[in-house]
Amino acid sequence: MYTETFLGDRIIRETEKSSNDSMFCKEHDSPLRNKQAKFGAIMELVNKLRKLIPLSSDIPEEKINDLFQELFERYPDGEDPWGLNLEKTQKVVETLYPLYKDYFKVRLFGKENVKNKPYIVVSNHSGQIALDGLLIGLAFGLDIYPPRILRGMIERFVTNLPFVGTWTAEAGAVLGDRQNCLQLLKRGESVLVFPEGVNGVAKSTPDYYKLQKFTKGFYRMALSAQVEILPVAVIGAEETYPYVYQAKGVAKKLGLPALPLSPSMLLGPLGFLPLPSPIDIHIGKPITPPSDLHGEEQDRDIREHIYQVENQIKDMIEEGRKNRRPFWAVKKET
Amino acid sequence: MKSPKPKSILIIGMAGGLAKITAHLLAKKYPTIPILGVDPRPIKDDFHLDNLELYQLPYTRGNFEKLFRDKKFDIVLHLGRMSHVSTNPGYNIRKRLNLNIMGTNRILDLSLKFKIKKVIVLSTFHVYGALPDNPTFLKEDSPLRGSFNYPELRDVVEMDQMTTNWMWKHQNKIDVVVLRPCNIIGPQIKNVITKYLTTSAIPTPMDFNPMFQFIHEYDMANLITESIEKVPTGTFNVANNDVLSIREAKSIATHSTQYSLPLFLVSPLAKALNKTVLNLPEYILDYIKFPCVINGNQILKHFSKNPIRYSSREACELLTLD
Repeated sequence: MYTETFLGDRIIRETEKSSNDSMFCKEHDSPLRNKQAKFGAIMELVNKLRKLIPLSSDIPEEKINDLFQELFERYPDGEDPWGLNLEKTQKVVETLYPLYKDYFKVRLFGKENVKNKPYIVVSNHSGQIALDGLLIGLAFGLDIYPPRILRGMIERFVTNLPFVGTWTAEAGAVLGDRQNCLQLLKRGESVLVFPEGVNGVAKSTPDYYKLQKFTKGFYRMALSAQVEILPVAVIGAEETYPYVYQAKGVAKKLGLPALPLSPSMLLGPLGFLPLPSPIDIHIGKPITPPSDLHGEEQDRDIREHIYQVENQIKDMIEEGRKNRRPFWAVKKET
Repeated sequence: MKSPKPKSILIIGMAGGLAKITAHLLAKKYPTIPILGVDPRPIKDDFHLDNLELYQLPYTRGNFEKLFRDKKFDIVLHLGRMSHVSTNPGYNIRKRLNLNIMGTNRILDLSLKFKIKKVIVLSTFHVYGALPDNPTFLKEDSPLRGSFNYPELRDVVEMDQMTTNWMWKHQNKIDVVVLRPCNIIGPQIKNVITKYLTTSAIPTPMDFNPMFQFIHEYDMANLITESIEKVPTGTFNVANNDVLSIREAKSIATHSTQYSLPLFLVSPLAKALNKTVLNLPEYILDYIKFPCVINGNQILKHFSKNPIRYSSREACELLTLD
């Protein structure tokens, strides 16, 4: 459970405690003691930061083991032709669990809308480095029963990247290609798509939460496979960077998909770390594609249906933003 | 639709390991019909079959046509594509183009001229190319992009395209089956991937780990044998539907601890080793980097029982046996 406790209160408490400690140190002044005090102060600062961004060391190994036991029944070889590696995925989930639960303090709403069948999960895209995909994937694996590996459709350039391409594939992501999508749906898997594409993440701060135009491919897939669309809205991922300006012109000249510039990046590599903005994932009611349309319909015949999905996600974003937690909300210790 | 029983069979590329296994299976299945084996390379006669005759001939010479004229066979198995491992890929590209493209063209023309009933041509899944944007389970109608990044694969792609075009042009006169198998591995096969898997000195990539399909040499030979009567004109992928990652496959095949290196380090090493001892073509680097997983369901529709006995994993395990 989370409360809207402000970090400010904690900072005051910790500062008071810290100043008491330093007063105590001053009484025993020697070079060794000074060194120890300095080290102690550093550790104290680290501990303070750790408390401010509480990362639990309590990984529910038993729960994760149980969930993966079920997944191993589904994928007996532990691998699949798209490069999924369940053993490695389990390790990734165990590593990322504190990030999911404690750093981003993810809340999941609407899980009752998810049934045990394949879906095309359609979400808004936000947060510069596409953390939303990772967190939605973790939510579907950890907090929705039965657990499933959500097959995220990724951009072509990702599969070309050393290490990153392999890690994403091992965790279940696949190249965003219609053939892959249809094959996976046919096998009873659920796929995750971001129809805004790179435009969804490559937004400057004034455009946060403005839904970009959806591409049509996902709807054609839903029609071809006659699979329901599950709309998802992610709130909070936009604020993981304090202020962002997208240098689109420079990105184009450099041949990059996007070039986000943020003041935090002046801090060097540390500045690329996303801030612990609390994230809410809202799952809406499934949308059934009309059975009288097929995957090769003309654009004009499916446009209205795509608007319907877009509007539903827009409404979910608006509603979600009203009920969101403040940026510095922390997890209540119970 | 089942084809009639063959009366006589010509195997082209008889010096190769796959051709020898195929000859054994054919001799067992059709003990009374004559089988002819031909290859421009010396054929090591380390096997004896009563109904097999061997000829060492280049495919582009007059004697080769004489063979067609005199021997009256009705089935031709073209298993004689020159691979990249036996020669230095840069140096012998002209020889390879000549044999694979001109040689195949001549075989097809002679087959038509001498009213051969069926020609089975062994191509390869390399024609699709290993590329980062390859979807999983490439079908037979996927574009052939093998030579996009590596001109050394030009002969492989051109041979396949030429045969396929020729096949449709003459489909009313002659049956042509083009097989595009995944990685054929086995103790008799001396191709690039078998060499890569069994040489423990060659590292695996640390930064990439694509999925691979393997077919055992016996299964491939069996499928070629069975295709004579059961598979109609067309182009077919041949593969298991089970897959293995390259790291897993190599650890099974070498039966030893593997070491991995980032590919940007492996790449110059491979190039240097290629020029000295290993003789591996450069394109293999893309195949251990990006996926090229094919859909082999189409050909299986023509068999009542799956002719592929071993899974990819079992095929790798069998490599470790002497």
